[in-house]
Amino acid sequence: MFRSLINKLIPVQSCGFHTTSCLNEVQLLTRLRVVDNSEIGKRAMAEGKPPKVICVYNKKRVGYIGDRVLVAIKGQKKKGILVGLKQTQKVKVPKFDSNNVVLIDDNGTPLGTRIHVPIPTILRTILKEKTHAKGADYTKLLGIATRFV
Amino acid sequence: MSLVIRKSTVEILCAAKWIFRRDCRLLSTLPEKTEIVVDEKERIPGRKTRSYNPILENRHVYPEFLPDPNPNWRNSLREKMERADMLKRRSQIDIPEFYVGSILAVTISDPHAQGKTNRFVGICIERKGCGLRAEFTLRNVVDHQGIEVRYELYDPTIQSIQVLRLEKRLDDKLLYLRDALPEYCTFPLDMDPEILPEGTPVPINPVQVKLKPRPWLERWERQELKGVSNIEEHLKEKDRVRRELRKTPWEKYDLMKNYRKTIPAEEQSEIWNEVYNQLQQMRVSRKKMSRKRTVTTPKTQLA
Amino acid sequence: MATSNMKLLCSVLNKMRIDHITTRSINSPPRFRPPYWYLPKERVMSDEMLTQENKDFLEEVKQDKLNLQNTLESPLIKSETQETLQWTPGTRRTGLIARKIGNYPLWSKDGKKFQTTLLQVVDNHVIKYIPPEEFKPMKTSKVVWKEKRKLGCLLVGSETIDPSTVTKEYCGLFNTVGMLPKRHLCRFMVSPQASLPTGTPLFATHFRVGDYVDVRAKTMDRGFQGVMKRWGFKGMPASHGVTKTHRRPGNIGAGGEKARVWPGTKMPGHMGNRWRTLRGVKILRINTKHNILWMLGVAIPGETGAMCYLFDTVLPLKKLKTPPPFPTHPPADDLPLEYYDDSIHLFEEPTITFEES
Repeated sequence: MFRSLINKLIPVQSCGFHTTSCLNEVQLLTRLRVVDNSEIGKRAMAEGKPPKVICVYNKKRVGYIGDRVLVAIKGQKKKGILVGLKQTQKVKVPKFDSNNVVLIDDNGTPLGTRIHVPIPTILRTILKEKTHAKGADYTKLLGIATRFV
Repeated sequence: MSLVIRKSTVEILCAAKWIFRRDCRLLSTLPEKTEIVVDEKERIPGRKTRSYNPILENRHVYPEFLPDPNPNWRNSLREKMERADMLKRRSQIDIPEFYVGSILAVTISDPHAQGKTNRFVGICIERKGCGLRAEFTLRNVVDHQGIEVRYELYDPTIQSIQVLRLEKRLDDKLLYLRDALPEYCTFPLDMDPEILPEGTPVPINPVQVKLKPRPWLERWERQELKGVSNIEEHLKEKDRVRRELRKTPWEKYDLMKNYRKTIPAEEQSEIWNEVYNQLQQMRVSRKKMSRKRTVTTPKTQLA
Repeated sequence: MATSNMKLLCSVLNKMRIDHITTRSINSPPRFRPPYWYLPKERVMSDEMLTQENKDFLEEVKQDKLNLQNTLESPLIKSETQETLQWTPGTRRTGLIARKIGNYPLWSKDGKKFQTTLLQVVDNHVIKYIPPEEFKPMKTSKVVWKEKRKLGCLLVGSETIDPSTVTKEYCGLFNTVGMLPKRHLCRFMVSPQASLPTGTPLFATHFRVGDYVDVRAKTMDRGFQGVMKRWGFKGMPASHGVTKTHRRPGNIGAGGEKARVWPGTKMPGHMGNRWRTLRGVKILRINTKHNILWMLGVAIPGETGAMCYLFDTVLPLKKLKTPPPFPTHPPADDLPLEYYDDSIHLFEEPTITFEES
């Protein structure tokens, strides 16, 4: 009886795909959580259709904190900034339980008026570095944050 | 091996004591001294043949002073230099005694933050690394968002580490709090420190958390966790069978494995003899300082 | 009749010419001639059936020799001529033999963490100096067009060992200069003005904090390894009908003209255990009591406890700019215990705080 059970289980054990916890990287088609109060973001999250990443604007194509992403949300293309990541972070940088995104438009102005989760303080430096004099101004995002950790 | 057994028995005893004392206090207002006497009487027959060495108990209070047991990385001189550096850092900042399950508040100087300081409160869910590499992880749920921050114990940007509630939990690692209901790791950021009366042993909190339904981050059912109450609810028959198959009950009898994982008692006592005096001195001087502070603070309030 | 036949045969044989014989003549010089200090070191230990008294006597002699060695004063103190020597950017100083003893982090003053490797300079002594005129290394058949810079050879040993544990020949190498045998012996090519007398102890203060050095050591021995571990090949898929070729190299060359394995093709083989030099490693901290150097980075080859050789770096941008201790740092008692690089935060300093800009 027991032997037959084991025999049954063996093909299950050797199945090809890995079952360990993944690196939680933000890459193509990762589902994100919108954490601002923009109308489109709120509705998408309420309907249970969180946005998908369709492009990460950096060379590695893996999103790290403060990176700009293009997301597909409710049939539209919107840009967003990653403000919290699930994957293991450096020392003193917070690691979140979900991959958070704040939606922005092309000029870097956030679509919402408030972020209702904490924001890592390191974003203040990262976004300031990413902002150029004539390009988009991402630091507006910091103005609508409620709390930093 | 025997160390581990003793440790576990002591823990169980402590847990029993804790519950027992709670009940006692509800019923009567007996002074604590009598209880301690009872405890000691209980302990003596249950002790192993090996003699009880109080200096070895430091391994729970200062676990990072013990080197990595991997023989490929051992070097006595390097370990000595490392310990000297750790003591130097400890002379600048009070690194208190805390355990996995204690609630801490850590203030760091952060070049990114607005006031150049950053404070975070959370429960310590993991403590790992040895020597100057020692680190711990704090977890909290702020605004319904679970947040974890990893800190290095000897990082010179840490301004203070404050223990808000000193207690232990039933497990060595509380990583399962990631999959537990959020109320088990929600702590207010302006929490007040709870002060234990001096001389009491560190209480063990026997709280058992409830896990969220699957999917989980790890297979918690295989880890023999004591601090989880509803793990059986979420399991299927398949999981139970595979848990049985994957069990390694012989490992606790594997003397060599345990020996390789731990630092022998002789080496430990050598280390503790080297650092104990300084640590004790620092403790005493800190206590004096804190007493002075407690005396002076009300005056300022009055003024 | 027979004799005439013999003569005929002899004449025929004499006329025969044999070309292209590849014989190894006894007199031809060997391709490689190891230096004279490459002597067998390991000795087969045997129980000599000594009485206890004899053993005690031997122990006493060893202790006496060791004490004599320890009381040996550095020749640099006696001779006052050292001040006259001047360091110029072209001169080459001696190096050190060090032991890798592990790694741990240091923090910089702006709160950044550096991983460092600790190297301990153990009991280094100069054994012998061979001036450039006498130093004749290997004979090469190559024609030397340009007269090379003449460098002398300085033998440096580290870690004194019990003379009875090594062979007589190896021991004799040290006996001739009046030293006890050392476990490790290394040759450093130095400029003639950087030569040092026999018995000069070398310390970690030979280098300064903030200098860059080259570290030469043997990499970790990983044994015979496949192509994925040795060269970082990708391997082949785990599934999708792939059979028996998951970690194999695949194709190793083209057909036609190139239908052979080209030299230098990356293949499975022995990995590690070869000499490698890591150039331009910065020194962050020096302990003068235990002679420990804290080097930036963890990429120094070899496992913990391996030996490595330290040289002044040859990288043009990281070369020494100010005169270092030349020819070496003389032994001194009044040195500070530790030297730190300017960027390093001391552990006994108060907590780092950042100023609002």
